[in-house]
Amino acid sequence: MKNSFFLFFFLFCVLTACGQDADHKKKHDIPITKSDTYGYELVVPDLNIPWGMDFMPDGSFLITEKSGELIRYKNGQKTLIKGAPEVYARGQGGMLDVRLSPNYASDKSLYITYSSTEGDAKGGHTALMKATLEGDQLTNKKVLYKATPNTTKGQHWGSRIVFDNNNHVYFTIGERGERDVNPQDITRDGGKVYRLNLDGSIPKDNPFVDQADAKEAIWSYGHRNPQGMDINANTGDIWVHEHGPRGGDEINLIKKGANYGWPVITYGINYSGTEITDERKKEGMEQPVYYWLPSIAPSGMAFVNGDKYPDLAGNLLVGSLKFQYLEADYLENGKVTKREKLLDGLGRIRDVNEAPDGFIYVSVEGKGIVKLITK
Amino acid sequence: MLYFSLLIIAASVLSQGEKKQSPHFYTYNYKKSIVHLEKVQDTTLQNSMKRGASLYSDFCMQCHMAEGTGVAGTFPPLAKSDYLTEKTIKSIKAVKYGLQGKIMVNGESYQSAMPKPGLYDDEVADVMNYILNSWGNEHSEIITEEQVSSIEQE
Repeated sequence: MKNSFFLFFFLFCVLTACGQDADHKKKHDIPITKSDTYGYELVVPDLNIPWGMDFMPDGSFLITEKSGELIRYKNGQKTLIKGAPEVYARGQGGMLDVRLSPNYASDKSLYITYSSTEGDAKGGHTALMKATLEGDQLTNKKVLYKATPNTTKGQHWGSRIVFDNNNHVYFTIGERGERDVNPQDITRDGGKVYRLNLDGSIPKDNPFVDQADAKEAIWSYGHRNPQGMDINANTGDIWVHEHGPRGGDEINLIKKGANYGWPVITYGINYSGTEITDERKKEGMEQPVYYWLPSIAPSGMAFVNGDKYPDLAGNLLVGSLKFQYLEADYLENGKVTKREKLLDGLGRIRDVNEAPDGFIYVSVEGKGIVKLITK
Repeated sequence: MLYFSLLIIAASVLSQGEKKQSPHFYTYNYKKSIVHLEKVQDTTLQNSMKRGASLYSDFCMQCHMAEGTGVAGTFPPLAKSDYLTEKTIKSIKAVKYGLQGKIMVNGESYQSAMPKPGLYDDEVADVMNYILNSWGNEHSEIITEEQVSSIEQE
């Protein structure tokens, strides 16, 4: 009797264990609810992979297509900007983010991140270029940063650009598919948030300027592939989100010189279902503000600073490539307390930005750019 | 003779790191004391598939998934895909140039845009050989770089 009980118990355990999902589960997660408060209006049609955007003083959109085009759009007219840098359209790479200089009124400059083959080795890495926009032409092109070494890997180029109020430019570069070599090593590029002066020089107070062989442009490290970055206008802090592996996408508050842990700690697992590490936290490494299980594949991030959407004011919008919705993350004391999906099923969301007019614009792959409308 | 042997050993040790990354095998010809490198593309199906597997995880897996299952309604499956077997040239074209518009795979319709992966012609051949022979798919005829080069966008 006893033997058959134990046999049954053993078989029960084995059989129920066999069907276990490899993915980690998140206990006490904030559930996401669907909101029908917002709709959209298509304002820039016929775009393929609109990766980055910014807004010109005259109300035109400035848009990057991943395949390598820089476009200005206004009132139904699409103009191709000539002289854009040649890009290495390889895997996830191509033309990435674009931002007007904070001093655009006087310097008429743009900052662009893109996959570049510059250098001797085959393949490419991410570069940051500054250029002047004269009419429909880019001139005075200067590569402010070119990460090395070039590789032919297609993964994890990053990239987003923001400016603070002290004339610094920040940009992200992913770990280029070399997770065990790049992100934890400050003598190597990749898996980092970088900070430069607007002219490309290294700020004297960057965290690793005194360290031998360190890449002095590094601001923070241990990242995987950050494709969302914005400044929290209330606190002045830089917030970044990044793709995790299978599960484990994160939102992080970026601190000077901090280590964000990839791949030593992560909430995700390999795409194949095997573990990467059994560590989720570690002393000396930062924990995310929020992490997603399963992954939403976040791209594009914007704080809602203006007053055009009263319910969203002070909160965060994140695009989901995988689930094809715009996620609203409501914040209280720097923590996510509520999550909603807006524009559910719109398409693969690539970028989210608040324009100077206070409205939110969302770029959608295979579609174009839509304006967020309160119904 | 000893120095020559040591040179060969040193060269093969140094080449090990390269071999893992590169789709080509390097052979060394020694003419007097000058080392020449010649690219020789391995043509056996097995080796092509091995390189293809590595390319698949870098360029394809995020959408088509580790077992070629795709994502229902969004990204078509590659495992036992009728599109792959019946439209092999079109499949090569998709990997070489990207694919837009509606397609039918195993009775389901898909209309996401597949961006151009940006692979070199020999890589297209390798990843095709991997896909065509994985997850229940079988295709004994090897796809070659030359064949891929000759396929135009239309």
